[in-house]
Amino acid sequence: MTRPAEIVTPTIDFKAKAHELLPEGCSYDSCLSCGLCSSGCPASGLEGMDPRRFIRMAMLGMNEELATTPWVWTCTQCKRCMYICPMSIDVSVLVGLARGAWPKEKKPKGIVRSCDAELRFSSTSAMGVQSEDFVEIVEEVAEEVREEDSRFKNIRVPIDKQGAHFFINQNSREPAVEPEEMAPLWKIFDYVGADWTYSSKGWAAENFCMFTGDDATWKEMVKQRVEAVNDLGCKVWVNTECGHSFYTIWKGVERFGLRANFEPGSLVSYYAQWIREGKLPVNSDWNTRGLKFTLQDPCQLVRKSIGDPVADDLRFVAKRLVGEENFIDMQPCRSANYCCGGGGGALQAGMSAQRRAYGKRKFDQIMVTEADYVLTPCHNCHSQMEDIGHFYGGRYRVVHYWTLICLSLGILGKNERKYLGPDLAEIGLESAADARGAEADE
Amino acid sequence: MNSGGTEIFETEVLIIGAGVTGSGVMRDLALRGIHCLLIDRRDLNAGASGGNHGLLHSGGRYAAADAETAAECRREGEILKRVAAECIDECGGLFVAVEGDDPAFAERFPEHCARAGIPCQAMTPAQARTLEPALSDRVFAAYAVPDATVDPFRITLENVNHAQRLTDSVFLPHTEVEHFDIRDGVIRSAVCRNLRSGGRRRILAKQVVNAGGAWAMGIARLAGCSDVRLLYSKGTLIVSNTRIGGGVINRLRPPGDGDILVPGGTVSLLGTTSDTVDDLDDIRPTVAEVDRNLASAVAMIPCLAETRFVRAFSGVRPLLLTNGAESDGRKASRGFTLFDHEDQGLTNFATIAGGKFTTFRRMAERTGDLVARRLGNGEPCTTATEALPSGDAVRWTEPGAAARYWYQRRDPSDGILCECEMVPRSAIDAIVESAPGAEKQMTLKAIGVRSRVGKGSCQGAFCSIRVTSHLYDRGVYDSRAGLIHTRDFVSERFKGVRPVL
Repeated sequence: MTRPAEIVTPTIDFKAKAHELLPEGCSYDSCLSCGLCSSGCPASGLEGMDPRRFIRMAMLGMNEELATTPWVWTCTQCKRCMYICPMSIDVSVLVGLARGAWPKEKKPKGIVRSCDAELRFSSTSAMGVQSEDFVEIVEEVAEEVREEDSRFKNIRVPIDKQGAHFFINQNSREPAVEPEEMAPLWKIFDYVGADWTYSSKGWAAENFCMFTGDDATWKEMVKQRVEAVNDLGCKVWVNTECGHSFYTIWKGVERFGLRANFEPGSLVSYYAQWIREGKLPVNSDWNTRGLKFTLQDPCQLVRKSIGDPVADDLRFVAKRLVGEENFIDMQPCRSANYCCGGGGGALQAGMSAQRRAYGKRKFDQIMVTEADYVLTPCHNCHSQMEDIGHFYGGRYRVVHYWTLICLSLGILGKNERKYLGPDLAEIGLESAADARGAEADE
Repeated sequence: MNSGGTEIFETEVLIIGAGVTGSGVMRDLALRGIHCLLIDRRDLNAGASGGNHGLLHSGGRYAAADAETAAECRREGEILKRVAAECIDECGGLFVAVEGDDPAFAERFPEHCARAGIPCQAMTPAQARTLEPALSDRVFAAYAVPDATVDPFRITLENVNHAQRLTDSVFLPHTEVEHFDIRDGVIRSAVCRNLRSGGRRRILAKQVVNAGGAWAMGIARLAGCSDVRLLYSKGTLIVSNTRIGGGVINRLRPPGDGDILVPGGTVSLLGTTSDTVDDLDDIRPTVAEVDRNLASAVAMIPCLAETRFVRAFSGVRPLLLTNGAESDGRKASRGFTLFDHEDQGLTNFATIAGGKFTTFRRMAERTGDLVARRLGNGEPCTTATEALPSGDAVRWTEPGAAARYWYQRRDPSDGILCECEMVPRSAIDAIVESAPGAEKQMTLKAIGVRSRVGKGSCQGAFCSIRVTSHLYDRGVYDSRAGLIHTRDFVSERFKGVRPVL
C-alpha cells in the first residue's frame, strides 16, 4: 500500500503579489510599522500573528510562513487595519490571496462545504435549499401570514415578477431553519407598498466562495446572481439584512467587470428612507420599560462597502425605533467599528477557540454599553454575538431590524419573536389579536 | 587589576581599532594561540567597516584602474565565500552601461577582467533585464561577474567572538588611546581613557597593532610615527526599505556617484559619493549627497526615483597617500600597506592601513605574520581555511534571521520588541548577556550594532522605547542612563533619516 502523497501548500511571493494587487501608489513598502493596524485588530495575537507582522513578514520574504499560517482563517478580512492605517495599506488583500492558495483539502471544511453547496444548485444556497423548495416554503409561510393576521390577508410574496422595482435577496438561514422570520420583512414591504420580487434562481445572499479565497467561484456566484437580477429587469437590487452579501455583489461586480443593469441598495437605507417619508411610522412608544439598545455596524456593509452614510441610516432607524435616550453606541463604531469575529467565514471555519478569542473584544464593547439588546442587520454578526454572549456570560439579546420595526408598528406576529426576550414577548400582540377579532366579526 | 583608580590590562598584543581589520587581526593571532586585547574609541565597525555597501567585490570595479587590487579582491572573495559562508550572499553581480556612458570603456571591460582573472560573462541587454527587471531599457552593454554581499557586522562579531573563545582575548569598546608610554624604542603601555566612565585604563602589551582605519594616521602620530599618510574620502550611501534587484548592479563606467546598488538581505544600498574631507569629526550624510546618488542612479535603475529610502549614512574611506600619488579619492589606490615602523625607531608597533573590506583577511594575515614573528610564535596563518564559527550572540545582524528564528520557535512568551525587523526579547537577552563588547548597561546603540534593532522602516522610533522598557524590566537599566541611551540612539538614527525625508 502506498501512502497518500502529502498535500503541499504552495508558497507565494507576497511582496511581488502585493505590488500587483494593491492600487497604484499604494504598497506595503510605505508601512511605517506604527502598529495602529495591530492594536486595533481583534485577531492580533491569534496564531502568533497580527496585521503588522503579516506585512513585515511579507517584506522580510517569509513567504512560506505566510502561506501556511492558519491566521489567515482567523482574520475576518474586515479591513479595519486598512481603515485605520495612515498609509491605507490593505492587509486583507494578501490574506485573501493566502486563503486562495491553500489546497482545498486543507482549507476549513465548513467554508469549503458551504461554497460547494452554493455551486451545486441554481438557488445558489449555501444551505442546500433548492429553488423549488424555496418557492414552496415561501408560499407556505405567506399562507400562514394571510391566515394569522387579517391586516395581511391579501399579502403577496412575488417570486420571479418581471420588471419589479426591487429585487430582494434572501439569506438561506430563514427558509432553511426559521422560515417564520421571513414574514416581518414581507409585512414591511406590504406596509410601504413596495413593488418587489424574489427570484427562484440565484436568490441566496450568502457567499462563502468569497471566503475560500477562490476568485473563480466568487465570480461564478456573483455572475449567477447578477444574471438573476438582470433577467427580471429590476431597477434596484436590495440586499437583505446580511452584511457580506452586500459586499460580495458590490465588490464582485467591479472586481470581475460584470454587467449589472441595476443599482445596488441596502435594506437599511430603504428603512431610513421610508421612515423619513412617513411610510413607516415607527416610534418608541412600545419601549415603556426604557430597555437599552446598541447596534453592531456590519463591517461588510459599512466599512467595506457604503461607509458612514449607511452607519448614519442604521442609527437613524435605531433611534426612531427604541428612543434616542435608549440608544447607546459602542465605541469605536461606524466605519471604525470592530468586527464581531463572525465574518469572513469564521463561523463556518470550525476554529471556535480563535473565533471566541476574537469576539471577546466585541463582547466587552457590548457589555460596556449595558444594553439589553444589540441590533444588527447581519446574520453572521447576529450568530457570533449570540454565541459570545452565551460563552462569556452576557445577558443581552441580538435582534434584526425587521423584528423591531414590526414590533413598533404593532404587526409583529406571535411566532416572529424568536429573538425577543420575555420583556418584549407580549408587546403589541393585542393589536394582532384585535385584527384577528375584527376578522372573526366580519 | 585596578591601581590608583587606573584599570590595568595585560595582553600579548594590543590592537587599536575594532573594524573588520582589527577584529581580523585579533582572530588571526588568536588562531595562532596569541592573547589579544582589541580596543575601540567607539564600538565595533564604527568607522568605514560599518559605513559601506557590504559589497564583496569580485574585483570588477577595479579591473580597469588597478589590476592588482582587482585580483586581490577576487582571491579574497573566493576565500571568504568558503570560510564565512553564513555572512555572505552569493547573489552575483552585473556591470551595465547605459546610453550616454562611454562604449569604449564598456568594450574593454572583459579584457580588464581577464587580466585580473575575474570571470566575466557578456549578456545581451535583454538577458540582463530578465535577470534584473529593475534595469533601465537604455542599457546597451552588460556583463555578469561573481560579486557577492557580506554582512559586515556579522563577520566582525564572529571574528571577535572566535578570538574570545580561542585565547580568552578581550574586546573593550569606548576606550581611546591618549598616549603611548615609549622607552628604548618599545611601546611599554598604552594609556587610555574609558570614554563612558571617564576612568583611566593602562594596557601593557608586547606588541601594538594600529588598525585604526581612518584614524590610523592620528594613532601612528601618537606613537611618534609620521610615515602613515592617509587621504580621507567621505562616501554617502542610502538604504531602501526593501530589496531592489536580486544581485549587485554596477554601472559600467569609471567610478562615480550612485553607480552601485547592492542588496543587503531585505534592503538595498545605493552609493557612493566620494568627497575628500580634512576632518573626521561629525561625518554625516547630507541632502545634496543623497540627491547626487539618486540623480546619477536613476539612469541605470529608473524605479529608484520612486523607491522609499529609510536612511542615509556616511563612511570615510581611509586611502593611502603615497609619494606623488593622486589626491583624488576616486583614483587613489585601494591597495593596503603594512607599516612595521622600524625606520621610525619602534620595534613593537605596526600599522595596517588602506585596503578594502573585501581584502581584510589578507591584511590581517600580513599583520599577523609580522606580529607572530616578532613574538617568536611560529604558527602559520589559518584564516584562509578555518571556517568562522557562529554563535547565539552574534547571529542577529542578518536581515530576516531574527524573524524566522522567532516564528519557528513559536514561544508566545518571547515577545517581539522590534516589530520592523521582528527582533524578539530572547535575541536582545542573548546580545546583552554574551555578545562581543556586552557590558553592564549596554547602550541601545551597541545593541543596534549587534542586531537589526532600529534598522527597519521605523528607524528606532518605536523599537527604541520598547527595547529600553524591556531593559528596565530586566534590571539591565536601573537609572536615568537608560533614557539617555534611548535619546542617543534615536538621535543617531535620525541623523540618517533626515537627509532622505
